[in-house]
Amino acid sequence: MVQLVGSLRKELADSLSACRVLVVGAGGIGCELLKNLVLTGFKNIEVIDLDIIDVSNLNRQFLFQKKHVGKSKAQVAKESVLQFCPTANITAYHDSIMNPEYNVEFFRNFMLVMNALDNRAARNHVNRMCLAADIPLIESGTAGYLGQVTVIKKGLTECYECQPKPTQKTFPGCTIRNTPSEPIHCIVWAKYLFNQLFGEEDADQEVSPDTADPELSWNPADTEARATASDQDGDIKRVSTKDWARSTGYDAVKLFNKLFKDDIQYLLTMDKLWKKRKAPLPLDWLEIQKLACPQEVTGTGLKDQQVLGVAGYSQLFSRSVETLRSMLADKGDGAELVWDKDDPPAMDFVTAAANLRMHIFSMNMKSRFDIKSMAGNIIPAIATTNAVIAGLIVLEALKILSGDVEQCRTIFLNKQPNPRKKLLVPCALDPPSANCYVCASKPEVTVKLNVHNTLVLALQDKILKEKFGMVAPDVQIEDGKGTILISSEEGETEANNSKFLSDFGIRHGSRLQVDDFLQDYTLLVNVIHCEDLEKDVEFEVVGDAPDKAPTPPSAQEDKNVANGNKDSAEPSTSSKAPAEQDDVLIVDSDEEEPSSSTMDVRMESGGHKRKLHDAETGEASAKRQRLDQPLAADEEDDDIIALD
Amino acid sequence: MIEKEDSIISEEEAAQYDRQIRLWGLDAQKRLRGSRVLLVGLRGLGAEVAKNLILAGVKGLTMLDHELVTEESCRAQFLIPVNNQGQNRAQASLERAQYLNPMVEVKADTDRVETKPDEFFLQFEAVCLTGCSRDLMVRVDQLCFQHNIKLFCGDVFGYHGYMFSDLGQEHNYVEEKPKVVKPKTEESNDGPEAKKTKIDPNETTMIKKTACFCSLKLALEVDWTNEKAKSSLKHTPHFSTTQSIVFSPFVPLFVPTVLLKFRTDKGRDPHPESFEADAMLLRQIRDDVLEAMGLSSDLLPHDFVSYCFSEMAPVCAVVGGVLGQEVVKALSQRDAPHKNFFFFDGMKGSGVVDYFGPK
Repeated sequence: MVQLVGSLRKELADSLSACRVLVVGAGGIGCELLKNLVLTGFKNIEVIDLDIIDVSNLNRQFLFQKKHVGKSKAQVAKESVLQFCPTANITAYHDSIMNPEYNVEFFRNFMLVMNALDNRAARNHVNRMCLAADIPLIESGTAGYLGQVTVIKKGLTECYECQPKPTQKTFPGCTIRNTPSEPIHCIVWAKYLFNQLFGEEDADQEVSPDTADPELSWNPADTEARATASDQDGDIKRVSTKDWARSTGYDAVKLFNKLFKDDIQYLLTMDKLWKKRKAPLPLDWLEIQKLACPQEVTGTGLKDQQVLGVAGYSQLFSRSVETLRSMLADKGDGAELVWDKDDPPAMDFVTAAANLRMHIFSMNMKSRFDIKSMAGNIIPAIATTNAVIAGLIVLEALKILSGDVEQCRTIFLNKQPNPRKKLLVPCALDPPSANCYVCASKPEVTVKLNVHNTLVLALQDKILKEKFGMVAPDVQIEDGKGTILISSEEGETEANNSKFLSDFGIRHGSRLQVDDFLQDYTLLVNVIHCEDLEKDVEFEVVGDAPDKAPTPPSAQEDKNVANGNKDSAEPSTSSKAPAEQDDVLIVDSDEEEPSSSTMDVRMESGGHKRKLHDAETGEASAKRQRLDQPLAADEEDDDIIALD
Repeated sequence: MIEKEDSIISEEEAAQYDRQIRLWGLDAQKRLRGSRVLLVGLRGLGAEVAKNLILAGVKGLTMLDHELVTEESCRAQFLIPVNNQGQNRAQASLERAQYLNPMVEVKADTDRVETKPDEFFLQFEAVCLTGCSRDLMVRVDQLCFQHNIKLFCGDVFGYHGYMFSDLGQEHNYVEEKPKVVKPKTEESNDGPEAKKTKIDPNETTMIKKTACFCSLKLALEVDWTNEKAKSSLKHTPHFSTTQSIVFSPFVPLFVPTVLLKFRTDKGRDPHPESFEADAMLLRQIRDDVLEAMGLSSDLLPHDFVSYCFSEMAPVCAVVGGVLGQEVVKALSQRDAPHKNFFFFDGMKGSGVVDYFGPK
């Protein structure tokens, strides 16, 4: 006899109230998920989120109200849930899941882990922790109208990192510094400029004209011209931008003329660049002030959606420099500002600087609203998509807890039904990839780099942490002596950071054993010495899709992943490893019609939007073919009825 | 149809709705802001729809429910705080619903929907019925159809759920498509080397479209037995030659049909407390419905009845999410609406959109 508790059979209902589950993230998906879990009968829930509540969260993160802005998401989510379910046993952590405190033992406390994250670094990390602890993980993501849920179980399914993902796109320095051709180049430049002037100076974020541009051939006759063109306040090549700015007291007019007149004139002397391109037109502060006319507030649109004129953006530039200057002064000596899209003067500055540069390079200027989207990597988000995905997560959880893991599926939420009328498309889970550099039994990778000019620090930060998702790597050289190159213990190998790999005898064919003890993960890295990597490329992982700016033909674009983001391909607008918001798991778009009308692949900082279905890696076609086939074994079909 | 208020969006609204304005645009947001919606039924599904519409920023939401809060509903619904037993469900949900978004006028109405006169419905741009009898849904739909009011219905039965929409004879909407940018024209200038297929958010066009819907009455008046309904016969290698496989588009309609009949017969939905008796009645109705469709009762697994009881929270979330988004689309007149049913099977995780009604 079947006994029901609500909709559930009693055995299942009982196991729900006994088990402990972990929810990683208390944002869009997290709020919906917590609500679904308690209403379904889960009693012991732990939730972790490092973030605090922002007003822009309130359109969908329904456990929060305006009065909670600034408070911990995990904490407030817990309190809200207790209002309608006081018997739930919820533990909230206002912390990062990557904190070493949350080790494998911690993860082993749970029957199930559910991600509700928005960035790849954390996803990679939780993936490894769950593999190490052998706990099932439910992964999910949403962007706009689209979403996806999948289940990861060690040994049974692919892990999150089984399929190589294209890394975030970056632009070559010369494009940013010399020859921008798209608005995004100007926006990246403006963000770099912010850091150079007010924030942490970074050698990878130069804004001045690049004389090492490979497009230029060094011609001695040019030298004279360059010398004359360089501005009177100092040779731009020798003085750092920040020092120069400081020396002028952050005078907005001087800054304006240097960046938008003098530097542009300098670029013009590099005439090779302008043979096939439209040359930039320098601006002059005084000339522009003459053109200035009072700005009318037109229409009933959002103020931010207006596009001002050159005069308007010059004024905005001046005002924001002024504000930022005093903010910096208030912070005291040696202070630095951190760029934040929600900090109005910082956003104003980037809007103004980017637009002025766009104007100089003959591009249509953009509204603050649009620039904020691109500069801040904003993903549009609504409540309903998150609600659907969070519902699907719990349904998968129930299958796992009933012991029916083989019933689990990857489910895609589309914007419009596919040709087979499906709005929600369940697909069979794939088995683990034999070559996975994370979950294979003895994972190995091969990395191409120049041993003579790769710093140990770069190996640690750019390769092991950023690329391979480790949090605290320990590196041993397989040289018969077990030389320790990098230790995760603070201070132990600090001295090695500024040395080159070759200084330790690392050369072509060397092998490095890399361990991350927190993630219980060992990776063998094979080194290939290479002296002709592309400019601005520090290393290449053999077997990865080459990183390149996406220029797929439009037909292919239509078939690529829809991420609900209306902007063009978003490359990284910050060169540092991202803790920035971003991604969403892949969503398989409709084969015939794009799920989102203005689709494009979004590859940007921190995360990335394209996973399996990447036409460029060629994996998409194989994968998509499978889904295209009618009655493919992996796609569910319940329309068929057998008759006797 | 729905007049968008040509007023200025306040800073508060711009900040709060930022992430959705970036998705569906300011115009759509303004239309939402001018719409009043009636929501009938505040059980699990109703609460989800209420949340979604209030967060979206409609002008007003009236929550109508005559039922009282029971011990079970405390578990089923997140708007009702505990210890509200005996209170009216709509009333008990009001406070937390309002907190979701103070900019929306949220009201509670405790009357029985059957007693409401026709005029009552005319004050709304959209009506959403949950937990209602088939006859009531048909009646209200007819009224809405006549007055150009968008009508939606939905229910959740255990692991299963459905929604239906009737947006009227002619529903006008727009779809935003990217304008393909050609290089070196005056119109669009995105840079000295702009590539041919640059997609620029400012360069999109709105394409106007129309969709036609039929009434619920016509949608449900399917002739199960006619030849067209049986679609094509197919043989596949999996089955012996004595068997044939029929594609039936009606599969997803089985559960809602059976459960709505139960609701009409018993005046309530199946309840775990009377599992045995209710299960028996469900099987009986199932047999009747399948017989009328001319199909074998092996179609549904014998124990399907145990998956139809109560409202599963995650299923309410899925159906409520899809239904909520359909209401938003219809009110904002943006993006193609699903026509005209959405069915969700929580056991399989499949969600299909299908059309039933005259061609």
